[in-house]
Amino acid sequence: MKKKVLIRDFGQETPVLCPIDSSDIPLLPGEEQIVFKDVKPAMKEKYDFSLDGFSALNLPIPQTPEEEAKIVNDFLRGLEKVFSEENNWAFLQPTVLSTDYCVQCNTCNEACPVYPESGYQDIYRPNYRAELLRRIYRRYFTTAGKLLGKWAGADLELNWRVVYRLAELVYRCSLCRRCAQTCPVGVDNALIAREVRKLFSQEMGIAPEGVHKSGTVNHLKSGSSTGMGSAAFLDTLEMVEDIIEEKIGRRIKIPVDVPGADFLLLHNAGEFLAWPENPAAFAILFDAAGISWTLSSEMMGYEGVNYGVWYDDVQFAKILVGQVQAAKRLGVGKIVVGECGHATKATVTIGDRICVGDLAIPRESCLPILADIVTSGKIKFNPQQNNFPVTMHDPCNMVRLMGIEKPQWTILNAVVPQNQIYPMPNAGSENYCCGGGSGFAIMNSQNFPQWRNNLSSRRKARQVLEAFKDVLDPSIAKYYCAPCSNCKGSARDSMIEAFHFKDKYNMTYGGLVELMVNAMPGLPQPYISWEDEF
Amino acid sequence: MSFVEIKGQQIELDEDGFIVEPDLWSTDIAEYFAKEEEVEELTEQHWKIINYLKDYFKQFGIAPMVRKVCKDNNVSMQELYALFPTGPAKGACKIAGLPKPTGCV
Repeated sequence: MKKKVLIRDFGQETPVLCPIDSSDIPLLPGEEQIVFKDVKPAMKEKYDFSLDGFSALNLPIPQTPEEEAKIVNDFLRGLEKVFSEENNWAFLQPTVLSTDYCVQCNTCNEACPVYPESGYQDIYRPNYRAELLRRIYRRYFTTAGKLLGKWAGADLELNWRVVYRLAELVYRCSLCRRCAQTCPVGVDNALIAREVRKLFSQEMGIAPEGVHKSGTVNHLKSGSSTGMGSAAFLDTLEMVEDIIEEKIGRRIKIPVDVPGADFLLLHNAGEFLAWPENPAAFAILFDAAGISWTLSSEMMGYEGVNYGVWYDDVQFAKILVGQVQAAKRLGVGKIVVGECGHATKATVTIGDRICVGDLAIPRESCLPILADIVTSGKIKFNPQQNNFPVTMHDPCNMVRLMGIEKPQWTILNAVVPQNQIYPMPNAGSENYCCGGGSGFAIMNSQNFPQWRNNLSSRRKARQVLEAFKDVLDPSIAKYYCAPCSNCKGSARDSMIEAFHFKDKYNMTYGGLVELMVNAMPGLPQPYISWEDEF
Repeated sequence: MSFVEIKGQQIELDEDGFIVEPDLWSTDIAEYFAKEEEVEELTEQHWKIINYLKDYFKQFGIAPMVRKVCKDNNVSMQELYALFPTGPAKGACKIAGLPKPTGCV
């Protein structure tokens, strides 16, 4: 049932402001029921679940009035910084514009993947979240708001519950920016969510463990968010070479630390551990196409992710500088980012303000280079080797944010038979988030994964079922292609494990380069093996 | 965070039940984790994998990729899952006292 929650009531003293019940959520075709596991009472007593009954942040409930007051004061101090030039040089202008110019048409709400799939719960509207911030800002930082309160659109009084619920609420938005794309005046409500995440991290030390402590902190300490040091990277790479040899019948020496190569390829390091066929496929393609490229084994030179992009400008800048310096030391012509949407966004687009002067270096996505391999005829692909239904997920950060719309489809059309391509409704820049964006795929605290799999990933699963609706028969093996590590992790956790698409529909998932290699001439066996890998 | 008492010793676990201090690992702890991870009895084959994971972690500071576990121990993915029904990362690594995997894996 749709629960209306007025913004002015956001801080009300109720155990859970908008409890999410499984009966609220529209089922997928073929889905029988949704079951949420109960949270242990000891956890409920200790941690804050008061937004929607879920916790992504493990926020301990304050025990004294002093602790409560500190939460409010710290938040207000941080909010002031979000709106000041010396403290927010990165995103001040779009934040101010998105705060000042919303005309409350609420067109954005329907664009969101989560809001409709939650049974239209008010709190998940993109504009609900942003409007909370606007009203707090007006109430505490504008003369009209201070004096006139609700008459000036400033009717939300702060207390610790407002602050903690808002902290959780900015982690119910995957920053996919479908709302921003649809806004008639260009307001970016996802950016507001991201800026509030930044406030919480930089001012209050509040961030999801997987993103911060075992994410960026781990990355800066070990060289990778996976904890992979340089020695482990080299050992893993040897195994990737073994996989190549096993698959294509000959060994390829993966270039590492080659000075002056045309480009340094940055993979999401998770690929090496979880989906090694992906970096293996890159090596096979670049080798066959005679491309000059290299990986780096230097600390900060082999991990492409930058989780700072989701929540913290300081962590973001430290990681990006490390990556660029590794490329500079090798003397490569540019940095190319592999199949990882967030890494592409972070390195290529958001890094623009940082990669200047000594840090200036060309940076781009791998997709145009891969498309060039197809269109140049350097490799003669045989689409018949991919003779199974394929649908393609357009990663939000590459497509919607950066406008990389065509290369992946040029490739797909060249390596898969036309009658086996099943585009999703809304393919392209209108595509829906995989559900794992902005850190969700690696946030596994408390019961958050249940929220992610059942609410955030539901729209994607619905889209996939619609794309494959004529070939759902499990006797037909089918492939969900996602040229993004994060989207693959999300597909595994939601569609394969939570919604059982492998068991029910014989659907598997993987990247784009795997499909390319699978269509290459002279393979002793198919590159994609359907049973073993996943 | 929580604690379990194993043979009179308080062992701290993270919220997914992984050991917080890998140095405190013992065979008793492995036996305890095995029951949690649906392994009825730790056989010689289990111990081979567990010791392999421990050695790799000691040398490289992370868990090896699953393919490597299979290759170096001459087991198939199916056999690995048969040994550790909750999976190599969640099951085998936890029993071997490795910390929870991090990053986009």
